[in-house]
Amino acid sequence: MASSAPPPALTLPPSQFARLQPHAYLLAHLSPPASSNQPSLRANGRQPAQFRPTSANTGSLTHTNGSAVVRVGDTTAVCGVRAELLPTSDIAAWSVSHASPDARKRQQSTTTTTTTTTKNDGTDADAAAEESQIQDLHLLVPNLSLSTGCAPGFVPGAPPSALAQSLSHQILGLLHSTRLVRAEDLRVWYQVPTFAGEEEMEVDADADAEGEGRKGKNDGKEIKAFWVLYIDVMIVSLAGNAFDAAWAAVLAALRDTRLPRAWWDADNEMVVCSEAVAEATRLSLRGLPVASSFCVFEADAAAGWRAVIVPDAAEEKMIEEDQRRGMQRRWVLADPDGYEEGLSQERVCLVVDKEMGKTVIVKMEKNGGWAVDGRELKQLVDIAAERWESVKQILELC
Amino acid sequence: MTDRRRINGPPSGTRPAVFASSLKSASGAATERPRRHRQPNELRKIFLKTGLIPSASGSAYLEYEPSASLAAARSSPQSLIPPSSALKLACTVHGPKPLPRSATFSPNLVLTTHVKYAPFAARQRKGHIRDASERDLGVHLETALRGVIVAERWPKSGLDITITILEAEDDRWWGDAPDSHDAPWGMMNVLAGCITAASAAIADARIDCLDLVAGGVAAIVSDDEAAAEEGNSSRPKLMLDTDPAEHKSILSACVVAYMPARDEITEIWLKGDHSKASLGVDDSSLGHEALIDGAVNAARGAHTVLVEAVRESAERYAGLSTSVS
Repeated sequence: MASSAPPPALTLPPSQFARLQPHAYLLAHLSPPASSNQPSLRANGRQPAQFRPTSANTGSLTHTNGSAVVRVGDTTAVCGVRAELLPTSDIAAWSVSHASPDARKRQQSTTTTTTTTTKNDGTDADAAAEESQIQDLHLLVPNLSLSTGCAPGFVPGAPPSALAQSLSHQILGLLHSTRLVRAEDLRVWYQVPTFAGEEEMEVDADADAEGEGRKGKNDGKEIKAFWVLYIDVMIVSLAGNAFDAAWAAVLAALRDTRLPRAWWDADNEMVVCSEAVAEATRLSLRGLPVASSFCVFEADAAAGWRAVIVPDAAEEKMIEEDQRRGMQRRWVLADPDGYEEGLSQERVCLVVDKEMGKTVIVKMEKNGGWAVDGRELKQLVDIAAERWESVKQILELC
Repeated sequence: MTDRRRINGPPSGTRPAVFASSLKSASGAATERPRRHRQPNELRKIFLKTGLIPSASGSAYLEYEPSASLAAARSSPQSLIPPSSALKLACTVHGPKPLPRSATFSPNLVLTTHVKYAPFAARQRKGHIRDASERDLGVHLETALRGVIVAERWPKSGLDITITILEAEDDRWWGDAPDSHDAPWGMMNVLAGCITAASAAIADARIDCLDLVAGGVAAIVSDDEAAAEEGNSSRPKLMLDTDPAEHKSILSACVVAYMPARDEITEIWLKGDHSKASLGVDDSSLGHEALIDGAVNAARGAHTVLVEAVRESAERYAGLSTSVS
């Protein structure tokens, strides 16, 4: 090259080539000529299944109950959790719709604890009821903001873009479907004092048959308020794969969240909290679901333009054939950055958790194409499980 | 009307937590107002770093050193109520970029500034839509920067400056009644931070400026408690870089955007009234000019940090260009 002295106008630095011919640039990185003896790497130097270095930091924001900063490569998400109180007196028709089934449920649970035969069944029903309460009363309010100047495309001051809206709803859906936060943690109970005399109580105790039922009501624990968690995620810097970073930030912030001890002050008729840190409780989260996203890069440059159709048998056969000959036609890239996201149509998002060493798929989402099939999804679940281990370590260290 | 594009909380609204200790107003001795441990002319340390947001053409992150009380509360937390807060903000610069097709011709660079608090930035939850104070800050910032940028070099182009405030300064000590101390003093500190960070981000985006503009705050405070301790009557004092949580009453405050090399002020914001304060015989210096001079001195202090941050940015850029070519 040096001897032939090419005209200077034709030499482009790699960064400009990447801008002019993004698809060819990435393809050249992924499928280097066999003679060059280079490994197939992505343009950013990662292996196809390699995630970006991730770091997390919690508890740095002063005015939050829990906060976290998560950096996944160049994508940074800041999450702050603010807890506010929702008195049950403010909930429309609370006394009508909830007080009675709740009492019934408590009655049930007291009977189950006495008999302890169908305990498993009871907790299951409990959990389902809990979940619906969080959902019905809107106790978790996640909002994601992209209008922070995180990337050139998003106008600050404008209403949330379609991407921001969909990410907010994805987080909300995942919070509900994983039942990450326990409703019990969000309840503020009040023990109604018994003003009745001792004798009356004894009379009650005598009437054994209905005593249990009466006790369930009179023993008088009632919910006076709920904590509402406002979970706000600011994507400070966006370089692809906002969802993984945002979800990790939400998870880390919720793990960091401390709710003050709250009680019903009957004299002031309001819920008051204790400011002592020692009395504050952390949320007990259910599991640790970790999200990992993938995108599919296709060697066919026109793949993005053509209408999405079911690949016919002949085409599939051709790809299979190519694969056997060592020519790869498509790559599944883990944790895509902004450049790769712009070049691929098909996305896969997996949320996995591990319970006692067993991988559990919490959510599986796939859209935009037909390339990833069942066999590949199985491989991706394995990759996501590895990712779970590393994210768990990162979150436990912070 | 609920905002359908965001996820809304319970329709009836929620209430911030009320702490039991704040109800017992008579026995307020349990918690004390944080004290200023710095000298009157000593600034808080500033952390300023550029280039943390690679997708923007220029970016800066600014953080103030937490005050002594806040640092103590962080290392050994006792109370859930933070004694004071420290400014944290991120600034991004996008551009210069072509103006949208629909825009009218402009021979100069069109500057737009957006300042937005994160919902969790302040003691009270902030809304998602920009409120009046945020728009106000944006206008102040724009005037501060317009005098610095050499706008003629980029005709028909626009520059977007976006500031996200992750943690704001308090307007007053949380234990004070809301009306005793009503002006939003914290906003002035926020503005000074915004100016310094935006200046670093603009330099990081390599946009031609006359000088690095820095923001500084000074205030005239009358600290009753401190005066009582010293034994003399409450006499107003000039303090640089005041944390509003540390002072019982701030009489007036001033924030300037200052260019040291040209000795020019591009933006000045004076608030409050100290004419009624009991000025001593030797206090003839405590006029507006003294206040502005104090703010300029504070800005000079911030400028030294700014220079370091910009040098770092330039070194990184130089390293980058040599490695590419």
